[in-house]
Amino acid sequence: MNKTRFEHGSAGRLRIHVLPTKRFKTFAISLYVGIPLSEDTVTSTALTPFVLRRGTASYPETTQFRERLEQLYGAGFGFDVYKRGDNQIVQFRMDTINDTFVQSQESLLESSFAFLGEVVTRPALEDGHFKNAYVQAEKENVRKKIESIVNDKIRYAAERCLEEMCRNEPYRLHPLGQRKDLDHITAESLYKSYLNWLNESSMDLYVVGDTTLEEVQKLVEQHFHLDATQPVAYETKQSIREVSEVRTIVEKLDVNQGKLNMGLRTTITYGDDEYASALMYNGILGGYPHSKLFLNVREKESLAYYASSRYDGHKGLGTIQSGIEVQNYEKAVEIIENQLEEMRTGEITELEMSQTKAMIRNLLREMDDSAFEMISFDFNGQLSGKERTVEQLVQQIENISVEDVRAAASTFELDTIYFLRGQKEE
Amino acid sequence: MQSVQYDNLQETLYYEVMDNGLHVYVLPKPGFNKTYATFATKYGSVDNHFRVEGQNEVVVPDGIAHFLEHKMFEEPQGDIFATFASQGASANAFTSFDQTVYLFSATENIEDNLETLINFVQNPYFTDQNVDKEKGIIGQEIGMYEDNADWRVYFGLIEAMYKVHPVHIDIAGTVESISTITKETLYSCYNAFYHPSNMLLFVVGGVKPEEVFELVRNNQAKKSYEPQGEIERFFEQEQMEVAEEKRVKKLTVSMPKCLFGFKEKKVGFVGEELLKRDLTTKLMLDLLFGSSTPLYQKLYDEDLISDSFGYEYNSSPHYAFSIIGGDTRDPDVLLQRIQEEVDLMVKAGFKESNFERSRKKKMGGYLRMLNSPENIAHEFTKYQFRGSDFFSVLQVYESITLKDVNDCLQEHIDWSQVAVSVVVNP
Repeated sequence: MNKTRFEHGSAGRLRIHVLPTKRFKTFAISLYVGIPLSEDTVTSTALTPFVLRRGTASYPETTQFRERLEQLYGAGFGFDVYKRGDNQIVQFRMDTINDTFVQSQESLLESSFAFLGEVVTRPALEDGHFKNAYVQAEKENVRKKIESIVNDKIRYAAERCLEEMCRNEPYRLHPLGQRKDLDHITAESLYKSYLNWLNESSMDLYVVGDTTLEEVQKLVEQHFHLDATQPVAYETKQSIREVSEVRTIVEKLDVNQGKLNMGLRTTITYGDDEYASALMYNGILGGYPHSKLFLNVREKESLAYYASSRYDGHKGLGTIQSGIEVQNYEKAVEIIENQLEEMRTGEITELEMSQTKAMIRNLLREMDDSAFEMISFDFNGQLSGKERTVEQLVQQIENISVEDVRAAASTFELDTIYFLRGQKEE
Repeated sequence: MQSVQYDNLQETLYYEVMDNGLHVYVLPKPGFNKTYATFATKYGSVDNHFRVEGQNEVVVPDGIAHFLEHKMFEEPQGDIFATFASQGASANAFTSFDQTVYLFSATENIEDNLETLINFVQNPYFTDQNVDKEKGIIGQEIGMYEDNADWRVYFGLIEAMYKVHPVHIDIAGTVESISTITKETLYSCYNAFYHPSNMLLFVVGGVKPEEVFELVRNNQAKKSYEPQGEIERFFEQEQMEVAEEKRVKKLTVSMPKCLFGFKEKKVGFVGEELLKRDLTTKLMLDLLFGSSTPLYQKLYDEDLISDSFGYEYNSSPHYAFSIIGGDTRDPDVLLQRIQEEVDLMVKAGFKESNFERSRKKKMGGYLRMLNSPENIAHEFTKYQFRGSDFFSVLQVYESITLKDVNDCLQEHIDWSQVAVSVVVNP
């Protein structure tokens, strides 16, 4: 078994986590910048990394910026904006070749830090704010991205279901923000929001590769220009809501196949001791091809190609998704509700238990072979204020009984049924 | 057991050909928890007309390779997913134009899982009843893709380019074509293409090569295969010109999707020559359309492209074509602007410095890919089936000259070979 414990340190506002290893051909670098999800800041926060990737003080033109990455042997650079629990997280990633594989004149790790540090803390500016042309172009880009959500009908239905379910909570917000806010954002206002974001966010920097905590700490101090204050911890309490009654929403769009989505609420979140039980609940219900949903909706009834469930331990909710013929809607809902009922009454075989345990164990242990997955797992701990190693979680899964799963099932309550269907009446 | 050492990659590959013709490759990854194995047959959606030496010529329904892939998971004792789940392995499969790949990844019970993988693929079990049941499931899979605008625009382009070559037939077929599939047609395809001499087993991860070979040797020794002659594949003579200049499909999208590409006039290359042409063309496309190019930046500034803009190149001994494009507010203007700018580049040729930078980027991208056991297994198999060596990619990149890329630019950019595919709102 490999050592997957990160060494933890800090430099000013940044928490630093380093896993020294020679197993990979690259240095994997991730910077997480997170703030509570809020209507006032969601759009400016989402827009910020799009503007930051247009240019830095040293590489103010976008083509220069991208050429620089290519000089670093095509260092991978990217970012994502997403929700995790009630937080909006911006994640910057770099994946740089370890110098031993190429004939490089410079230290690629140091050059990557110099680059990332500039991206986040020394953007290209004009007249004391972001470059206007970049802000305008990226507003347009984000607007298009928000509008394009409808293009992927499976994803669209999943997001609409959550939006309906959480309509009275910040979680209803899309991580890319709200289209209506974009009009009011200017280069000056965005720069101000950006400075606030830098000052108020929680920041975690990860490196996996052939390096040390000391080296990374030195590089951060050199290349990240941030106030020398203390790191900010994440708010770990999640807002839990009760279900009053099941809402059903049917929406029409020109689709061939109906997309059936369901949202469930649970009181169990990542930081709870029952987290392992909730993972088992999801695995038995619909996480895998041996799960109840796959077997009953797809294999027994041939109603669907996909039928699965997911559990989000950060927000405390479960989702079910399946693509079906419109005329099979009632039949599919009934079959799915029967599976939920079996979970509640504990109609779970020993085989389902052992298969699901083996699958979860495998999934967890496989993470050790991917630098970015190890980073993601450790970050979940930072975010939730709950340190739990992979092996601890594997052990907890091992100890779960049918009774534990039944107990977890009693916390999962159906909240919303969302059905996206074609325009034609059937 | 033989081995070949790739010093520049710090990898050693072990291989052996079994008595029945099965090719087995093992790439040990010391320190990895996971083992990833693929069992692939050189048989995909394009192989719809063939003859095994000494047998009759056969024409089979569209989508049958993919249908067969689905049906392999069913064994007399039930679904093979359940066996894998009990052994803690995630299993899956996919079908492409020219191969069908079965796979698992696991961190425990590696020997059992390897046996399961080999045995289930070598044990077909088709009945009238289970073939019929699958038609409903695959029908839903086809329906899912029909709703997917990205797939529609992508496949629309291949349909526009190729008139008779079966690469233009959707991998899953149509609801009509799969309705004619019977257990007899499945067995006839199975017997032709799943002979060990047409298959390749690749194992990568924390394994000992000699143990893997020992296991496979013993496993294969228990099964009797008559030697099989050559498989002859028939492809009708494809015309040089594209089938249609433009294809338009209607689907609800936030913005039109537009892809275009050049159909190669010369095909028939194999092995190293095919590999070099493939990599040279990809370099050339990166120099034209990559995100650091002036063309990309101009089109982005003109609000004609977004982050969705990209390119790819597909080449095999029988067909080869590029695919370029993304979402755009105006497909006609986009194509017109690209033609203007690309013609200037064709006249001027590429500069040495840009060529060197782009090549560095490609080499870095290749090295980064080697962090992923999944990518290694998939790419290695794909290259092998085309007669080339995935681990020679770095050397081939080193051998490519600026002149090669400039020649490729002259040859590939021929506007009489262009086809366009768009998806627009109804």
